[in-house]
Amino acid sequence: MDFGKTTVIRDLSFDVRRGETFGFLGSNGSGKTTTIRALLGIYQPTAGTLHIDGRPFKPENGDRLGYLPEERGLYKKESVIDVMTYFGILKDLGRQQARAWSLDFLQRVGLADKEKTRVDKLSGGQQQKIQLGVTIMNDPELLILDEPTKGFDPVNRRLVMEIIDDRKKAGATVMMVTHQMEEVERLCDRIILLKDGTSRAYGTVKDVQDSFGGTIIQLDFTGTVPASDSYSIPLNRGGHAELEIDVGTDPASILHELLSNGVSVSSFTPTRKSLDDIFVEVYGDQAEGGE
Amino acid sequence: MARRNLGAVLRFEVVRTLSKRRFWLATLAVPVLLAIVFLLVFVSNSASDKTADAQKDAHFSFEYTDASGLVDPSIVDTLGGKKITDPAAGVVAVKDGTVDAFFNYPADPTKETITVYGADKGLFANGQYSSVAESILQQSAQAKVDAPQLATILQGNFTTETTTFKNGSTAGGIDSVIPGILFLVIFYVVILLLGNQMLNSTLEEKENRVTEMILTTLSPTSLILGKVISLFIIGIVQMLVFSLPIVVGYIFFRNQLNIPDLNLSILVFDPQTMIVGTLILIGGFALFTATLVALGAVMPTAKEAGPIFGAMMALIFIPFYVLPLTISDPNAIIVQVFSYFPYSAPITALLRNAFGTLPLEQAIVIILILFGLSAIVLRMAVKLFQYGSIEYTRKINVREVLMRQDAK
Repeated sequence: MDFGKTTVIRDLSFDVRRGETFGFLGSNGSGKTTTIRALLGIYQPTAGTLHIDGRPFKPENGDRLGYLPEERGLYKKESVIDVMTYFGILKDLGRQQARAWSLDFLQRVGLADKEKTRVDKLSGGQQQKIQLGVTIMNDPELLILDEPTKGFDPVNRRLVMEIIDDRKKAGATVMMVTHQMEEVERLCDRIILLKDGTSRAYGTVKDVQDSFGGTIIQLDFTGTVPASDSYSIPLNRGGHAELEIDVGTDPASILHELLSNGVSVSSFTPTRKSLDDIFVEVYGDQAEGGE
Repeated sequence: MARRNLGAVLRFEVVRTLSKRRFWLATLAVPVLLAIVFLLVFVSNSASDKTADAQKDAHFSFEYTDASGLVDPSIVDTLGGKKITDPAAGVVAVKDGTVDAFFNYPADPTKETITVYGADKGLFANGQYSSVAESILQQSAQAKVDAPQLATILQGNFTTETTTFKNGSTAGGIDSVIPGILFLVIFYVVILLLGNQMLNSTLEEKENRVTEMILTTLSPTSLILGKVISLFIIGIVQMLVFSLPIVVGYIFFRNQLNIPDLNLSILVFDPQTMIVGTLILIGGFALFTATLVALGAVMPTAKEAGPIFGAMMALIFIPFYVLPLTISDPNAIIVQVFSYFPYSAPITALLRNAFGTLPLEQAIVIILILFGLSAIVLRMAVKLFQYGSIEYTRKINVREVLMRQDAK
C-alpha cells in the first residue's frame, strides 16, 4: 500500500477467523488504521487483496458490519433519535425498526430522556454512548473497532467491553486495534503485531509470547544469583530477581542450578512474558507519530 | 440497498435543513425585507400622490422680468404673476417677503440661465419655483406655434412602434429576451443560495468526523448525489418562499405598488433559446456544484476554503463588467473568452442566448464544455471527498489523491 512514494504497508498477510476476537496491534504510524481503511474499501490497495467473507467489502454489505473508527463523530446539530435512525436506515433497518432499536439502546445506556436532545448538547461521555450504539446497530456479524476505548471514560470503557462480550457470545467476529495490552490478553484469541507496515508477530497470544522470549521466572531469594548461560537477569534488586529463560528450557533445571550454587530460594514462579513487555521491546525505539 | 440509502440521505438532508429555525429565519428574512420595501414604496407613493395633488392646487405669488420677450403675459396672468422691469427689485421683494418668488428670464433662454429666487419652503417644495418658471416658458413657446399638432409634437407626445425581422419572420424584440434572461436569473439565485450550503455540507461531514463510518454504508457517489439533489430541493423551497411576497403583491396590490401589468402572452418563447438556456443552466449548475464539493473535500475548514470560494463567487459577476460589449459586440475577444471559459461561460453564454447573439454551433461547443468538465470535476470531487474527507485536519495533496487507484 503506497501513498505517493511512501510504502505504508508491505508484504502483509493475515486472516481473521469467524467468531474469534482478533487483536490488531502496533505503535502509532505502524499502518493499522490504513490497513482497516483498505479492508473497508475506503482506501484502495495498490497491490494485494483484502476480503471479508471471501470477497472485497462494499458499502452494500455495511449492514453486516459495525465499524468504530479511530476518528469518530456524529452529526452535531440534529437530535439523538434522528441521527441514530438515519444510521439505522443506512444499515438497512426500516425507519420504525431503527427508531425502536435506538430507543431500546438509549434505555439500556441510561439516556432514554435524551431522545430529542441535540447531539452537541450532550456531554462527551453521552456522545460516546451514542457512537457505540450506532456502531452496533443491526447486530453486526463483524465488529471492527479502531482503538475502541480511546478517549472513553471508565464507564464507557466498561460499556465497550460489555458490548464486545455480548457480540462475542452472539457469535460475531471482532477485530480490534488497541494499545491496552491487558485488554488484548483478556479478550483476544489471536493477534498480529505490525511494525512499519510489516508483520512482526502473528498467532495466538501464547505463540507471540513464546516467540518473544518465552518464560520469566519471578524469584525471591537470599544469597547471590550467579551468572549463567541458561538465563539472563533483567532485574535483580533487594532479594527479588527476574530470570529470563529461552523457550524449551525447563524451569526445574534452573531451580536445580540455583540451589546447587547455594542460593536460598523462598519463591520460584515461572510466568510468561507480558504483552506489555513485548510491545515495549518491539516498539521501544519508535517515537510517537501519526497513523 | 444503494437506492434506499440514496433516499435516506435525501430525506435526512432535506428534513434536517428544513427543520432548523436558523434556516427559516434566514429564508424568511428576504421576503420580510421585500415586504417592508413594498410597504415603504406603497406609503411613499400614497404620500407623493397627496403631495402632488396639494402642489397642483397650491398657489404662490411671484414677479418676473422678461428680457427675451417670449413670455406670454396671459399665461402668467392665469397663474397670478406680475411683470416688473427691475430684476434687483424682484430679488429684494423676495428677500423682504413681499412675494414668494421672482423669475428673471434672460434675453436668450437657450444660451443663458433663467434665474429663480424664492422664499425657502424646504428642499422638496422649493422645486415648485423652477417648475413653474420652466412651465411658463414652455407654454409661452407652444402658444406661439399656430398648429396644435405641432405643439403636441414639440411636447414629445407621440409614440413609435418598431418591427424587426429575423430569417424572414418577425423578431420578438425585448419580449423574446425576457424568457432567456430568466435562465440567468435562476442561475444566479441557485448559485448564490446554494453555493455556500454545498461547500459547507461537505465540510461539515469532515468537521463532524462522520465520513469514515458513513462510507462503510454507502458509496461516496451516493452521498454526494444525495446532498446535491437535497440542496436543489431546498433551493426550490427557498425560491418559492422568496417569490411569495412578489406574487401576493402582484395579485392584490399591483396598482398601489405601481407594478406594471405583465402580459405574459406577448413573451416570445423561442424553442432554440429555451433548450440552449436550459442546457447551459444545468451544465453551469453542475460545474459550480462539483467544484464546490471538491473544494469542501480538499479544505480542512470553512475558513480556509473562504478565499477560493470568494473567488468563485466573484467569477460569476466578472462577465457583467463587459455587459455592454457582450450585447453589442459578441465577437469581441473578451466576450469570446468569457463565453468559452467554463466558470464565466454560464453568465456570458446565457446573456448572449437571451439577446439572440449566440449561434447554435457556439452554443453546442459551450454546452459540451460545461457538461464534459462537470463530469470530470464531479468524478474528481467524489474521489477527493472519499479520501479528503478522512484527512480531517490537513489540506490534502490533490495530485496524490487523484493518482490513487480507483475502486474496482
